[in-house]
Formats: sequence, C-alpha cells, structure tokens
Amino acid sequence: MKTTADTTPIVEMRNIKKNFGAVQALRGVDLALHANEVIGLMGDNAAGKSTLMKVLSGAYIPDGGEILIDGKKAHVNNPMDARRMGIEMVYQDYALANNLDVAANVFLGREAVRVKLGPIGVMDNRHMEQETKHLLNRLKIDISSVRLKVERLSGGQRQAVAIARATAFNAKVIIMDEPTAALSVAAIDKVLDLVRELKSQGSSIIIISHRLEDIYQVSDRMIVLRHGRKVSDTPVVGDIHEFREQVVAYMVGARDDFSEEEVA
Amino acid sequence: MSFIKNAQTLVRENIREYGMFIALFIIMATFTVTTNGIFISSRNIVNLVNQTGYIAVLAVGMTLVIVIRHIDLSVGFLAGFLGAVAAIALVSWHLPVYAAIMVVLVLGILAGLLTSFLVAQMGIPSFVATLAGWLGYRGAIQLITRSTGTIIIPNAAFNAIGNGFIPDIPDFGILPGIHKITLILGFLGIILYVTNEIANRRKMKSYEFEVMSFEMFALKLVFVSGLIGGIAWLLAGYQGLSWTAVVVLVVVIIYNFITTKTVLGRHIYAVGGNPEAAELSGISVKRLTHVVFGSMGMLSALSGILFASRLQSATTMAGTLFELDAIAAAFVGGVSAAGGVGKVTGAIIGALVMTSLTSGMNLMGIDISYQYIVRAIVLAAAVIFDVATRNTGK
Ligand SMILES: Nc1ncnc2c1ncn2[C@@H]1O[C@H](COP(=O)(O)OP(=O)(O)OP(=O)(O)O)[C@@H](O)[C@H]1O
Ligand SMILES: [Mg+2]
Repeated sequence: MKTTADTTPIVEMRNIKKNFGAVQALRGVDLALHANEVIGLMGDNAAGKSTLMKVLSGAYIPDGGEILIDGKKAHVNNPMDARRMGIEMVYQDYALANNLDVAANVFLGREAVRVKLGPIGVMDNRHMEQETKHLLNRLKIDISSVRLKVERLSGGQRQAVAIARATAFNAKVIIMDEPTAALSVAAIDKVLDLVRELKSQGSSIIIISHRLEDIYQVSDRMIVLRHGRKVSDTPVVGDIHEFREQVVAYMVGARDDFSEEEVA
Repeated sequence: MSFIKNAQTLVRENIREYGMFIALFIIMATFTVTTNGIFISSRNIVNLVNQTGYIAVLAVGMTLVIVIRHIDLSVGFLAGFLGAVAAIALVSWHLPVYAAIMVVLVLGILAGLLTSFLVAQMGIPSFVATLAGWLGYRGAIQLITRSTGTIIIPNAAFNAIGNGFIPDIPDFGILPGIHKITLILGFLGIILYVTNEIANRRKMKSYEFEVMSFEMFALKLVFVSGLIGGIAWLLAGYQGLSWTAVVVLVVVIIYNFITTKTVLGRHIYAVGGNPEAAELSGISVKRLTHVVFGSMGMLSALSGILFASRLQSATTMAGTLFELDAIAAAFVGGVSAAGGVGKVTGAIIGALVMTSLTSGMNLMGIDISYQYIVRAIVLAAAVIFDVATRNTGK
C-alpha cells in the first residue's frame, strides 16, 4: 500500500505558517498525503499538530503557504469549504452537540431537506435516521439507536459518532485529532479498527496521537512536528521498539531531518 | 403493582417534562380550594387565558433566547413601549389597525436586531446589553406618554384582540348558552392530539425504539384529552375562545413547527448545545443570534399589542415585570440555563403557571408585596429544579 513519490498527492500543504500573536505555532510546514495512505502525526504538546490540521480543515486561515488538492491550488477559508472538497476533521474534543441525538449530529450543518418554505427547510428526519443507521452498520459501530442523545453515550461511542460524522458524506480525507485520548483500552482498539476499516474502504487519513503504539499499528508514514517545524517524515517500518526510539529522538530534538533546509 | 412502578419510573425519567404539569395542577387545585371554586369558574379561566397571552408569547421567544445561552431582560418595557407606539399610531397617526400592528411588529424586530448587534457583533454579554435595553425602553415609554399620560385607545377592532371572542353559530336549541364552535375546536384538538400521538408511537415502535407501556400511554392520552376537553368546556361556558387565545395558539403552532421540524430549529438547538461544534459544522452562530433576538423583539411587540388591547389603553407602567414572568415561565416550562434544552410548548404551560399564581393570589386578596416574593420564589425554585434534575438526570 505504500505510495510512490511520483504520484500526485491527494492533499499537499506547502510551507504553511501560522502565528497566534507572538507564538509561531507553524513555521513553514510541508505535508503530502497520498491516496489511501494513513499518516501518523506526532509531536510534543504545543508542537503545532492541531493547528496544522485546523488549517487543512478550514478552521484556521494560515498566515503563509498554500494548499493543493489533487495537485490544484485550493482556497480553504472555512470548514464548509474544506468539506466541499472532501476534507473532514474529527476534532480533539469531538465537537458534537450533546443535547442532540446521533442522527442529528451526523447530519449537523448538512441536514436532509424535504421541502423548502422560503428560507426555511423542513427536515427529512426519516432519511437522516436511516442513512445514519446504514453508516453505523457499515463502520460496525455498536449504538443501539440513532435517536439516542449523544450525552447518553460513552466516550468511545461519542468518538465513533464523531468519526462516523466525518465519513458520512464520502470524504476523501479524514483528519483525526487524538481520537484515542481519554478512551479505555477496549475503546481504543475499536477506534483503531475503525481507522483500518476506513482505509480498507479507500479513505486517506491523517491521525494525530501521543500514543506511539496507535500510530505504529495503523499508519503507513509518520510525521513529527517540533516547535512548529517538521523534523521527520518517514515510512513506518521496523519493530515497535526501534520505532519508539526513533520517534522519541525526533520529539526531543536529538534528531532533525530538515534542519538545514529550514532557513525561511 | 407493576402499573404503579411503571408510573413511578416514568415520572422519574421525565421529571423535567412532567414537573411543570404537576406544578400547574397543584397551583390550580390549591387556588380552587382557597377561593371556594371561583378560581376554576368559566369566567376566571377565560380571564386567565387572556392574561396568559401576553406572557406566553414572551415566554416562547425567551425559551429560544435561553436555549442559545442568552437572556433578554428588556422584553417587558420593550413590550410596554411598543404597545404605546401602537396606541399613538392609532390615535395620533390615524393608521388603520393592520398598519399599526405591522409597524409595531417591524419596530419590534428592529429592536431585537439592535440587541443582537450588541451581543453578536460587539460581543457584549446579553445580560448587560438587555439591562441597558430595560432602562432605555422604560425611559422611552415615559417620554412618549409624558404629554398625554395614559393613552385611551378608542378602536373597537384593536381592542377586540385582547377582549373579544371568536364568533359562534347561532343557538339552535341544543346546549343553550354554550359556545359551540369552541367545543367543536376542542374536540378537533383532542382528535388531532390522539391521532398524532398514536402515529408517533407506531413510528417509534417500527424504529424499534423503546416506548412506554400501553397502560401508561392510554393514561397519558386520557389525561391530556381530558385537559383539552376540560379547558374547552370551561371556555365554552363563558364566551368561548378569545382572540388572544387564537393568537397564542397560532404563535405556538408556528414556533413548535420551526423548532422541531426545520433546519433552522435544529441549528438553534445545536448552537445552544455546543456553539463551537455548530460553528465548525458551518452553522453561523451570529446569524442565529440575530434570528433569535429578532424573533424575541417581534414577540415583544406582539405582547405589547395584546396588553394594550386588553387594557384598551397604553400606560406608563405597561410591561413592568413581564420579563420576570417570561423568564420564570420559560424555566418552569423546562428550559435549561445550560442551554440547548427547552420546548416552546413547555413555555406555554410555564406561562399558565405564572399567571395562575398572579390571578389566584389576586382573587385571594393577597398583598402585592407578598405576591412579588412568591413569584421570586417560584422563579428561583424553577431554576433550582433545572440544576438539580440536570445533574442527576443522566
Ligand atoms: N486559537 C489559538 N489562540 C492562541 N494560541 C493558540 C491557538 N491555538 C493554538 N495556539 C498555540 O499554538 C501552539 C500550537 O498549538 P497546537 O494546539 O497546534 O498544539 P498541539 O501539537 O496540537 O498540542 P497538543 O498535543 O497539546 O494538542 C501552542 O503554543 C498553542 O498555545
Ligand atoms: Mg492538539
């Protein structure tokens, strides 16, 4: 499943910069995601992982750099733009409305409309509930009813709903920000299964995690950020111990593959 | 045995929804006893419904404001002010009734948008922005009524909104003195309710969703049908359904439809539940804030019209403490201070609770100072109930 360098990446981010006041969260990061590839994105707290992905998902506007989708320059100004281009993000804190049910969350912002009365659309709840049911079945997510309010779900089920929501509209690229944080071991396995399932169904995925074993299990390639710069971009190979040592070396700054290139 | 157990768990699980019915029932029963039945007389119930009208429409709007995690303290004096504008439009500008109403409703929307501009665009907490509105509109009423004092409205059509009743078919021997159209409407209401509930239950079952036991379901149908029938019978015994009640019913039906069936309604609740998630889903929180406060302003105008019409005049004190009753009604009706939860139908029950309290205490001749204290306690109790059931209700 490894992609060769000469195919056009499905998503390419070039020299992305983002400042928050005096904080340089991203100092010129490149990232290329190929079709049907899973990238593990790692780095210490505040390395800029979430920021980089929020730039891709349209939640943040970068201060510099460009984004190419299928080789063409794209303008991602808000989350809806990104979604229209097939990029979906599962946010670190799930970003679900707990007071609404599962189906309502899956379709939030993209409700199926039965009739339109002027500016007001009447929802097609039956359609949304059925679609949600199919979706949960397809992803092998175990939730007894799509009419359950999200506040009644367990942490693992919420994460599953958030992921299902990201996949509901045939996304090409799914970004997951720490999908396994705050989950039990069993729930983590379920989420990782879900990632494999999505890959087998053809999605391309970027997954952020602090848990090296998660990245090791599901990723084809790993990227390490440090202080807003990319310090490593290598295929995931070898056994888990080598992998761990390698990642830690990059994360603490003992190794840096891009140091001399980084002048800008 | 198991039936009682059933009932108990049902009440416990739906305590937020049933709490207001229980409160309403206790209040009505208490006042019926303490006033030797005067409280439950046809005449008083008709009055009660008309008094509830101008609070009920405010409570509907307030429910949505609280659902999106804001508050509006300005609605009382805004209603009073716009009622006075309606009076001036009729008396001084000689506008026809429909034109005066339109002008006032549009002014209400503009006032609501002014609030939402401060809240959504300037980022001012709604509590502060609407406190300023409270003071400002209060000053505005005094300003426009200063030269005239109370403005008497001599327009029969306008005054009918707050005092008139829907016409009836002429008497033909059966049930003399009873308002038959009201009875028929009540009957239709029951049929509509029952068929709707049965269809819902069937749908839920076909989705393999858990439904309440058949006995409980039947009991609920009988209870609510009895309530609708009883109210219709009481109203029919006096002069029937008032125009105020019609206005309130129309408002509730429209708002209930919008909040439960439309994308707009779904988004309002999503914003209340998790504004960040809503924003990330492409929902504009600002836009919805404008919509909700705009609707609140329009309903404030409607409330002002109902009140001015009922008193057949506009007074300097019109609208005083309406905001308290509207906020209390929303909380009694099941809205949650945490946002995202609350139905407009609940707001109507809440409004009935608040006006029943006022009406009952007036009939009993309770001193106004105690009345304030009782209403304060009810408001506090409703919010305490909300917080208590929210923490344990999961
Ligand atoms: N909205 C924001 N406003 C101000 N500063 C921000 C904002 N978002 C991120 N930052 C800052 O940018 C830097 C990178 O943050 P980011 O959230 O991308 O880190 P991260 O790698 O995702 O960390 P973690 O593993 O803790 O989630 C941090 O210094 C953070 O404080
Ligand atoms: Mg992060």
